[in-house]
Amino acid sequence: MRLSLLLPALALLTAASSPAQTFVFKGERWEINDPFKMDNSIPPKPVVDPKKGTINVIKGTIDRTSNQGGIEVTLTRKLSEVTEVVWPIPSRLKEAQANVSRGEPAKALDNVEAVLKFFEPIKNVPGSWWVKAAIVKIDALDRLENDAATAAFLDTLDKEEAAKLPEVATQIQLARLMQRARKGDHDAVVKEATDLLTKADSAELQARLHIVKANSLLASKKYEAAMTTYLRVPVFFGSETEFIPKALLGAARSFRGMDSPALREQKLEAISNRYLYDIIVSYPVSKEAEEAKKMLPKEERAKAEADQKKIAAGGPLPEGVIMAKPKLADEEKVEANK
Amino acid sequence: MLTKESRTYKLAKAALLAVLLAVTPVTGILKAQTRPLPGAQKQEEDPLSVLYKAAEKSLEEKKYKEALAQFEELDAKAVDVEPKLKAVVTFRKAVCHFFIKDWPRAQTELTAFLDKFPKGTEDFFDGDNRRGTAELLLIEAFSKQGKWELALARLEKIRTNTLARPEERVNAFTLSAQIIVDRVKSSPDEAKRAAYAQAISLLKQATADGIATPERREAAYKLVEMYTKLGLTKEATQLKNEIDAKSNGSPVEIVRSNFQRLEIGDARFAAAESAADENFRADFYRQALTNYQGTLRRANLTSSFGRAIEAKNAEVETLTKNFPKPNPEQAANIEKAKQEVAQFKKIQDEFNANKDYDAFISYRIGLCLLELKRPWEAHVAFLDIFENSPGFSRISGAYYYHILALRRIGRNNEAQAKCKEFISKFPKDDQVSAIALILGDISQEREEFPEAIGHYKWVLANVKNLTPEVQEEIDFRIAACLFSQVDWAPAQKAFEEFLKKHERSPVRQQVLYMNALCSFFQGKYKETKVDFDKYEQEYPKGQFIPDVRYRQAIVKFGVNPPDIAGTIKLCEDWLKDFGKTNTDDVIAQTPEVYTLIGDANIRLADELDKKVKAADLELRANAKSADKAKYVEALAKVQKEKEAVTNKAIDAYEAAAKSARTNPQALEFVLGELRKLLPGRGEHKRMRDLFKEIFDWNHNDPKAMTYLYEVIRSTERMGDMPEFAAESEKIRKKFSAQLADARKKVDETERRDKVTKEEVDAAKAAVKKLSAELEAELAKVEARRQTSIADQKKRALKILSDAVSESINDRTQEGTEKLIVFLAEKLARKIKRVKPGVKPEPGAYTSADAEKELVKLLRLDEHRDSLVAQARGFFALGQLAVFTREPEKTAANFAKIAANYKAEELNPTILAMVGDSLLAKGDHKKAADYFGYILEHARSSEYADYGFAGLAEIAFAQKKYAEALSLCNEAIDNNILMAKELDLRFTRARALAEMAKYAEAKKEFEEIAKTKEWRGEKTAASLYWLGLMAERQATDEKGYAEAIAYYRRCFMTWKKYEVWAARSYFASAKLFATKLNQKDAAKQLLKEMLEKDRIKDTREAEEAKAYLLGL
Repeated sequence: MRLSLLLPALALLTAASSPAQTFVFKGERWEINDPFKMDNSIPPKPVVDPKKGTINVIKGTIDRTSNQGGIEVTLTRKLSEVTEVVWPIPSRLKEAQANVSRGEPAKALDNVEAVLKFFEPIKNVPGSWWVKAAIVKIDALDRLENDAATAAFLDTLDKEEAAKLPEVATQIQLARLMQRARKGDHDAVVKEATDLLTKADSAELQARLHIVKANSLLASKKYEAAMTTYLRVPVFFGSETEFIPKALLGAARSFRGMDSPALREQKLEAISNRYLYDIIVSYPVSKEAEEAKKMLPKEERAKAEADQKKIAAGGPLPEGVIMAKPKLADEEKVEANK
Repeated sequence: MLTKESRTYKLAKAALLAVLLAVTPVTGILKAQTRPLPGAQKQEEDPLSVLYKAAEKSLEEKKYKEALAQFEELDAKAVDVEPKLKAVVTFRKAVCHFFIKDWPRAQTELTAFLDKFPKGTEDFFDGDNRRGTAELLLIEAFSKQGKWELALARLEKIRTNTLARPEERVNAFTLSAQIIVDRVKSSPDEAKRAAYAQAISLLKQATADGIATPERREAAYKLVEMYTKLGLTKEATQLKNEIDAKSNGSPVEIVRSNFQRLEIGDARFAAAESAADENFRADFYRQALTNYQGTLRRANLTSSFGRAIEAKNAEVETLTKNFPKPNPEQAANIEKAKQEVAQFKKIQDEFNANKDYDAFISYRIGLCLLELKRPWEAHVAFLDIFENSPGFSRISGAYYYHILALRRIGRNNEAQAKCKEFISKFPKDDQVSAIALILGDISQEREEFPEAIGHYKWVLANVKNLTPEVQEEIDFRIAACLFSQVDWAPAQKAFEEFLKKHERSPVRQQVLYMNALCSFFQGKYKETKVDFDKYEQEYPKGQFIPDVRYRQAIVKFGVNPPDIAGTIKLCEDWLKDFGKTNTDDVIAQTPEVYTLIGDANIRLADELDKKVKAADLELRANAKSADKAKYVEALAKVQKEKEAVTNKAIDAYEAAAKSARTNPQALEFVLGELRKLLPGRGEHKRMRDLFKEIFDWNHNDPKAMTYLYEVIRSTERMGDMPEFAAESEKIRKKFSAQLADARKKVDETERRDKVTKEEVDAAKAAVKKLSAELEAELAKVEARRQTSIADQKKRALKILSDAVSESINDRTQEGTEKLIVFLAEKLARKIKRVKPGVKPEPGAYTSADAEKELVKLLRLDEHRDSLVAQARGFFALGQLAVFTREPEKTAANFAKIAANYKAEELNPTILAMVGDSLLAKGDHKKAADYFGYILEHARSSEYADYGFAGLAEIAFAQKKYAEALSLCNEAIDNNILMAKELDLRFTRARALAEMAKYAEAKKEFEEIAKTKEWRGEKTAASLYWLGLMAERQATDEKGYAEAIAYYRRCFMTWKKYEVWAARSYFASAKLFATKLNQKDAAKQLLKEMLEKDRIKDTREAEEAKAYLLGL
């Protein structure tokens, strides 16, 4: 009988918050119009609900019309008074993330800049998406391989309050690490990534660091170490879906590097091809799927593409494919930002 | 079902949940009340109030017995007080009883409170009259006493009371569900499942309006638990995600959510272990894996704890700062926040104390992956445990499964190293014997028998708690290893000891059989018979009976003198009895039985051969006697007998070969015998048909080419039929008598007196005519013979063409290129070579004809739509040109491939050959594409070294020396060295030289120069490079002299490699002229150089001429 667990636990729990776009002020909560939600007009305009607050970026205020005793009153509060932001992930940020994983860094930058601009005045308020957007921007810049732009943005970010947050600080370190990897300083990158891995406390960061480390190991032709490092991502961070195709692709490359006539019996090329197949089947719209198609022998590529179509049409998952993970619920992502 | 001990993880989990239970605060009712009791004086505190405060303090300090005594005293003393105060004291007494776990008295007190005080404690405790809490406590008291129905009845009242607070009703639903489950704890599974379903129905009602409040979330947690128990994972996961989304981030919730995820994973894992259906099982493992992977790791949890504690500390600090003199409500808030800090810290401490947390997750993930046939990922999961949690309490299990994973990925060396590591680290662990068995098993599997025996003996000597079964298995394995390493006597001894020690062993039958085999292989046929008889007696229908009977036949054949008839009889009986048995063993043994029949007949033939020789001698001795016919007859008779048994032997060997598809050893043996017998007897057709049948079993068999070769050769020989020889012989015989007569006539005519010249000429003309007739007759036969041979050659090519055509469209069939090369070689041999510039005879078979025939034989027209077939066509023509020594044609055909085909459309053989050709022509870009594709896709092919060597050469040519070196090192370090070893070593040496790593480069060049097998152009080149390096490093005359010495060795020894010789000459001359001040010597050397025929047309020669003029 474990009733006693119930009673104390009840005493601990507190009410949960609502996922709508809300700004919290001291003692007050205002629902806010979502500037990223557009109507169907041409050109599209933001959908505005007069009952909800609307942000005036120039004035740095939020205005809301309220009906008090039949009289319409416009209430104004300053953005600096916001104490908390409750906001589901902005659609453009989501799109930017998708752009990055599809290998469209320019589009990602376009989307993410809008989010950065919107959250700029409240970037340090809890629940703001500015930090996440900044991280996506780093990703997009990294994909563009524009070292000058990346360096400039990282320098700017370094000066921000947000840079003191451990996860942001680590992201900045990570981005700098990736720049060094591009310059070919692989030994140092491996060493530093290994150090950072002991400090990183989120699955996302761990996954990223493993990939950076593995990339450098692969570039140094340390195929075995690269393979085990890449595979840690699907093995331990299977829910970090964004990184799985990168890791699988890296693992496939590592297996190819490991292959030799002496290891013919281990059928490493077939194993490598199996990972490429997994990418095409499970992550068909990723940039890595395109890469995988190039790497796969044409007969197997045709099979993978056919299987992917069958799965997309509701067919069963082929035997052994374990990497296709369900996405996290949207609510979970909202909360995860807090 | 990989593991049993995995369930023990529940202990660790239970420990953490226990922490939750113990450290969470009791209720919110512990605040001190300062309201004065009636009759209290302002100046001096009322004794009742003092007593109340003391009782509250005791309660707060969890001194329940003391508190109870104080509340009882207060109850006795405070007679004339307001009902609500009486209610407070009654409630507190009940609480004390509750915490003392005196359930009956708690029940009495709580019932009294609820009956006597309909308004409860009224407003005494911040608006909550405590009736709800009392109800819950009473229900728990009932439950603790097993009074389930009373508890449920009270809960039903709350659930159905529309006036009750919504959250109280939610709690009532949750508690009802819990009680329903608890009361069937010891019931059968069916009752439990019914209870879970009932609980689900109640909990669904509790969560019907969402899970926004703590009470509803609690109900939702329970619902997840019930779903999990009923195996409704999808529902459990969905609801769990919803709960997580509403989480307030408190460590309590995080830990709880985390362990619930683990629980779902465990439930799925357990379901997988017990699932009968293979498909469901994989699904369950997959679901378990997803949950385990979704579980937060230590770093994440620790960080959450840290943040939560930090936030709570900040809250305490702010509250304390803002309210230096707090009112009761503020004080309560401060106290609550402090308690939460303490609680969080305790959870953190408890969590930190569980060092195995991450390792357990990795362990579970590893097990799932192993079950899901992802051994590489499992390897990584277990590796994580060794790297990050070497002190893991289940480390032995981790070792065991990691070893399994390593074996599955084919890394036996590593698996053995891991076994050894384990044994040395944990010699007393329970798993030692299992792991030592694996260690031995790997050695045994790899046929490293002495090592395997060593491992097994080590286990016997060092592991004290071996079960009798394991001990028996080890004894058997040791004997089996001795047997496998053909140590017959020790093996026999071991088997005999085994039989004595383990009389009723389940492997007794096998041991008896192997024991007999030991006698058999030692040639102790008498003992073998006894042993096999014993086996047949004990196991008349035993699994080894077919082999035993076959060996009995061999024993008969092996005794001296051999019992041939007995042997054949036993073999024929064997075929009669087992001929239709389809077991693998019998099928594999059938060719051996036939072979034995063949061998026995050959022995008979050998015996008859002696008789034939004797009869022949007899005949020769009596050639002129009257009994000659008798001797002739005797000889013919034994010859016929010999022929008959030889035929029987051939028939038996042929039957053996045809039935030996699964017995390659027997096949090789009989094919060897048939190769000796059939061609000599002119039975080429039989030979061809047999090898064709064997070739057709599997065209990808490594020996398929050999079989095909025999098919082709036999087919070609079929053309030269014995009939032609016989006919020629007949003609010769016919003419020889006539010629003899005619010659005799010439002789006689010449000796005759008065013979005229005309007569002699006429006689001679008659001889000449006969000779011409003979020649014409023989020519006719020869012409027919040649036609027949040509026909058969054509047929042979057709067979080859069929074989190539079969796989010409399949890019992955690497053997096709070998067949193509074979075919090209055959056609090239048909060409009659002529000297360059000489026209071939009219009608002669030329290389152009060969090209046409090749295209026809490859049936390229039929495969017009196949890219790879067309590419193979160009490759075939290129190869043909290699055999006909027409390098331009080779290059042209390979260039067509390069121009029309992407790397991915070709296979490694063509990529390698064409890549090399492109490289030689200087088309580095295309060559790099081809070589790069080999490295990307075909590192394990026979042509992988072409990829490395080609790319290294290109990098070197582009002056990317580090890259070239890296490629060479990679190939050499990984032993990817077949045909290109010399090239790779040479490029490595040059790259080292260009990177000024002279010592290493020198070592490499010297190695090349001194290796006999590599003598040739690279030797010359190495000498030149050694000179060049010496020149580059030279600072004085001695240094330059050393360089010149190397150059001299090059041009003196390797003139035929004119490029290197020319370079060496020129470099030496320049050193003489510029560094050693010996212009005359330089001039002389240059003149010598320019006189050489091979050198004078080189580029260096041109430069040398100009240089000479300047000297």
